[in-house]
Amino acid sequence: MNRTFRISFSLKNTYRVNSILYGIKQIPLIKRLLPETLYGVRGLKIFANILSGIWEIVMIFLGKFLYVAGMIYGLALLYDQVSMGRLFMHIFFFLTVIGAFTNTYMFNPSRDKYYAMILMRMDARAYTLVNYGYALLRVILGFLPFTLLFGRIAGAPWWFCWLAPFFVAGLKLTMAMIHLMIYEKNGKVPNENMLGKAGWGILCLLSAAAYGLPAIHILLWPELMAVGMFLSFFVGVCAIKKILSFRYYTEMYKEVLSKAMNQMDEIAKTAKTSSQKLISADTQIQSRKKGFEYLNELFIKRHQKILWRSSKRLAAGCGAVILGMLLAFYLQPGFRAETNRVLMTFLPYFVFIMYMMNRGTGFTRALFMNCDHSLLTYSFYKEPKMVLALFRIRLREIIKVNLLPAFVLGAGLALILYMSGGTDQPLNYGIVFISIICMSVFFSVHYLTIYYLLQPYNAATEMKSGTYQIVLSVTYLVCFFMMQLRMPIVIFGCICIGFSLLYCVVACILVYRLAPKTFRLRN
Amino acid sequence: MKFIIEHLSKNFEKRQVLKDIDFTFESGKIYGLLGRNGAGKTTLFNCLNRDLKADGGDFCIEEDGKRRPVAAMDIGYVLSTPTVPEFLTGREFLKFFLDINEKNIQDPRSIDEYFEYMRIEPEDREKLLKDYSHGMKNKMQMLINIIARPNVLLLDEPMTSLDVVVAEEMKHLLRSLKQGRVTIFSTHIMDLALDLCDEIVLLNHGELEAIPKEDLDNDEFKERILAALREEDHE
Repeated sequence: MNRTFRISFSLKNTYRVNSILYGIKQIPLIKRLLPETLYGVRGLKIFANILSGIWEIVMIFLGKFLYVAGMIYGLALLYDQVSMGRLFMHIFFFLTVIGAFTNTYMFNPSRDKYYAMILMRMDARAYTLVNYGYALLRVILGFLPFTLLFGRIAGAPWWFCWLAPFFVAGLKLTMAMIHLMIYEKNGKVPNENMLGKAGWGILCLLSAAAYGLPAIHILLWPELMAVGMFLSFFVGVCAIKKILSFRYYTEMYKEVLSKAMNQMDEIAKTAKTSSQKLISADTQIQSRKKGFEYLNELFIKRHQKILWRSSKRLAAGCGAVILGMLLAFYLQPGFRAETNRVLMTFLPYFVFIMYMMNRGTGFTRALFMNCDHSLLTYSFYKEPKMVLALFRIRLREIIKVNLLPAFVLGAGLALILYMSGGTDQPLNYGIVFISIICMSVFFSVHYLTIYYLLQPYNAATEMKSGTYQIVLSVTYLVCFFMMQLRMPIVIFGCICIGFSLLYCVVACILVYRLAPKTFRLRN
Repeated sequence: MKFIIEHLSKNFEKRQVLKDIDFTFESGKIYGLLGRNGAGKTTLFNCLNRDLKADGGDFCIEEDGKRRPVAAMDIGYVLSTPTVPEFLTGREFLKFFLDINEKNIQDPRSIDEYFEYMRIEPEDREKLLKDYSHGMKNKMQMLINIIARPNVLLLDEPMTSLDVVVAEEMKHLLRSLKQGRVTIFSTHIMDLALDLCDEIVLLNHGELEAIPKEDLDNDEFKERILAALREEDHE
């Protein structure tokens, strides 16, 4: 047992250490300092091992802390006029039932299990028992401090706080036993990552019971919970016998893991095929143009689904919301003043909305998967003047596609501003409209520019650029941060218009200078 | 016409993949490029196609005794996995290619003539390329690469996973195309190399080395090639 634990732990650790090293290797600048033989360097390995060890300990407690503090205690704070202690118990109880079948450890087809049991041919029973035992120990150890801490703060009784972690473990054991018995009977194995319709139904029902019932002042009786918890714990202890004596771990895991690993490979493959599915098979689509305009027109027409069609839908959606607002003004005149007040400082919020509405990432992805991935292998396509000619055409197209909803939204906002009581400065109407248009153009330019400057994919359509991913994340974070910002229309609008214009000019200069060199397949 | 590579080198960090490639290829010949797995054949092709920046050295074309740099249109590169733009039909891809290369293509023929030449059936010409079979994609890729009549044609294991009929057609095509250009053909299949190629070149330890056939028969020649590959292993 001890040996199995050591081997499986060190296997998982190696996998994790290499992932850490791989992750470090993806960070721009740092990657140049690291040697190619990175995975064999002793110092780095020790460093990653320490990180991995800290991670293992942190994960025992951090996950449970976030779960108890956020999902249970934090959400319980939102309810009024309900006993906090009983509410804590109520939510904990129902969420634990959900966790018993959605977070089993035993039926989670993870990669470390695949490596150990399938590739390394470790004894499935020994591996499972040791690791399952360890997983349950982590559950109990991880939960105990926080059920005691938050449970007591909330005012839950002592018996509950002490029993709660054992209840969680007991219920998981019980569920595992039931699943093993079902497998023995009819050969069916659950995959906790693939809940069926019934599974999702039960999950929704239990979530509703956890959070919905307290809202209408219905809480489970503590006595009933006590019975349920003791019973689960007791059955759980009995289930250990079944789990220890179960004989078909090898067969069961072969089935679960091979299915799951197929899916993972499929996911890698589907990146390409799902992009191919976007291509319209409509044989009526034709073009009378020539050269790159011909290529571009066919591309745009055959990718209606993610470009014009989705942009028209967004525009229609924006139109509907704006009409709804106008209707609300008519029905509820009191709503006007409130809207007007909010709108005067809410322009930064629209940066995030425009970010969400932009089709840029879908466009560049489809461009690569369905077009550039293949054409970049032909030398004529990489000639500088060809690269730039096509960049110009594409920039024009993506700006056009994104402008439609931006136009509706910009005009609609100006209209709402006017209808909600107007503003002292007529300039505001123009600024609202133009800044929305500028945001739209900015995102279009941004995505196409980083695509041309960083072209992140290799010939196997794998994403190879850490920088590209960092730029995308930073874009998201900045836009997200903008939601928190409140600024008068004039100030933010002018900053926004100025920044967008400047960015577009700089971006285009960079593309003209650098893209002929950077727009290549990665190796 | 000659295609001359001089002291070409490429490192991946500290690993020297191409050490000192120094070789002159002559037009009218098919060169069979052989090498062990990981010897750097694809890296060499990627450098010649300027997909990868070489660390040192250069390559050029010599015509009538005068040297000039290699232009993009001089090189045709056919990969083992054919890549074609999936959202176009065969006809559209060809039309697009002919449009942008109008000035570079001497005596262009009609689109259907090109299809006939490659034996691509009329009903397939209007299909989206994503629905083409592996062999047909390969033919399309080959066609695009030979229309512009590149001076140097690089083929990276082009026969892998082709059915016997298409493979035979492809061999025939390559033989018919060899006049007036350098064809470099990388493969792992020794018999194919001996059957199709006029010269055998080994890429080993980052260098190119021609193996002369002299008056050996095929079996003896094979032995010599294998010996050369093994020998260098023991160095």
